Amino acid sequence: MNKLMMGRYFSGDSFLHQLDPRTKLFATLYIIALLFFVENIWGFLLLFAVTFFIMHQTGIALVAFINGVKPLIWLILFAVMLRIFFTGGGIVYFRAGPVMLSSFGLITGFYTFSRFVLMIFISTVLTLTTKPIDLTDAIHALLKPLQIFRISINDFALMLSISLRFIPNLLDETTKIVDAQRARGVVFGKGNIIQQMKKLVPIVLPLFASSLKRAEELADVMEVKGYQSDQKRTRYRQLKWQVRDAVALLMIVLLTAAVVFVNRL
Amino acid sequence: METKRTLFLIEVAIFSALALVLDLLPLSFKVWGQGGSVSFAMIPIFIVAFRWGLKGGLLAGLLYSILQMAIGDAYIVHWAQALLDYPIAFTVLGLAGLFAPAVQAALKADNISKFIMLVSAGVFVGTSFRFIAHYAAGIVFFAAFSGDMNPWLYSLVYNGSFLLPSAIINIVAVSFLFNKRPKLVAVAA
Repeated sequence: MNKLMMGRYFSGDSFLHQLDPRTKLFATLYIIALLFFVENIWGFLLLFAVTFFIMHQTGIALVAFINGVKPLIWLILFAVMLRIFFTGGGIVYFRAGPVMLSSFGLITGFYTFSRFVLMIFISTVLTLTTKPIDLTDAIHALLKPLQIFRISINDFALMLSISLRFIPNLLDETTKIVDAQRARGVVFGKGNIIQQMKKLVPIVLPLFASSLKRAEELADVMEVKGYQSDQKRTRYRQLKWQVRDAVALLMIVLLTAAVVFVNRL
Repeated sequence: METKRTLFLIEVAIFSALALVLDLLPLSFKVWGQGGSVSFAMIPIFIVAFRWGLKGGLLAGLLYSILQMAIGDAYIVHWAQALLDYPIAFTVLGLAGLFAPAVQAALKADNISKFIMLVSAGVFVGTSFRFIAHYAAGIVFFAAFSGDMNPWLYSLVYNGSFLLPSAIINIVAVSFLFNKRPKLVAVAA
């Protein structure tokens, strides 16, 4: 249960852990976009090298990253197979109707596979090294431009932090109710769909009822303490731009230059 | 007035968290082995939608999708796929809120059969739009990763094989639950 509570965050004090979450979120999105501009095998090898270097920097075991790929492996293989067997060109080794195995097919298959795996690795780096609450701050910063559409970003950020804050409590409460039902002899995960559904009802109903009560109490407390959603608020956690963030951005620029260069090889 | 607003914000926040919790816990049961799990995760979103109307539903769905991404529970392989599979797919669940006024009226009139019918209709609309969003995401995905060979068909095969059955089961589950405890939908005075 503890693992779920913390999301997928691994604590640590590496360079990447200490980066400003805004820098990390931006860099992650940027590298993912960059993957679509890579045109040849050297580009992919370069990005593999960079990605593995970044992953090594986090100080987190490789297994954690591989686990990020696992749930998607069938989808990836499906897409890669389509690419391999339906792309013609180059030396054709084998052909049966529309299906063929060619050198171009193998290469594009490798590109598809690399793009996928690298994307998952890079986004896993972000979620493993950034606390969800910090990521919320980064998302808040990123959404700021939306304020011109008269959307209240502050309300939204407040809701995000309240949600994140209550996930552990709600998880606790749910496990307690599940355990209580188990102690009464309910066996979960057995029987047909209708039977399984019926077993879940006595778990979710009390959970919903107590959540409604909790929301009401929290709203009352906030009002009593003077909360008003349209007032300007100051922040408890201040994000600060530091030298290491500039270094990270510089590396992103260098990486872009390297990709442009390698594309011409 | 202000009280209602704070309560609205907090209820949406807590129910989005609840959606995530229900999704994280291994309470959901597998139907089709691969990916086709059915969980109660969508129900908190629907509750908010019926309690607070369209705005509440859309907001709760959006918040839930952002939570999934912040926790690292989301699978992202393409920017358009990410938008369609998370913010859009879950926000449209809130469209069930279109039925909120009618649902509230039916509840007030103690007309339970009409209430269940309207709730099911709302859930059906929300889930259908979610399916459309995932389907579109699939098209983007297969168009980007499998060359230009008929991504519409691939997406239909891939999504249809587990999303459609899971959508139907969700509708049954939600109607069943609301039938047991219609009061969940009643707005706080």
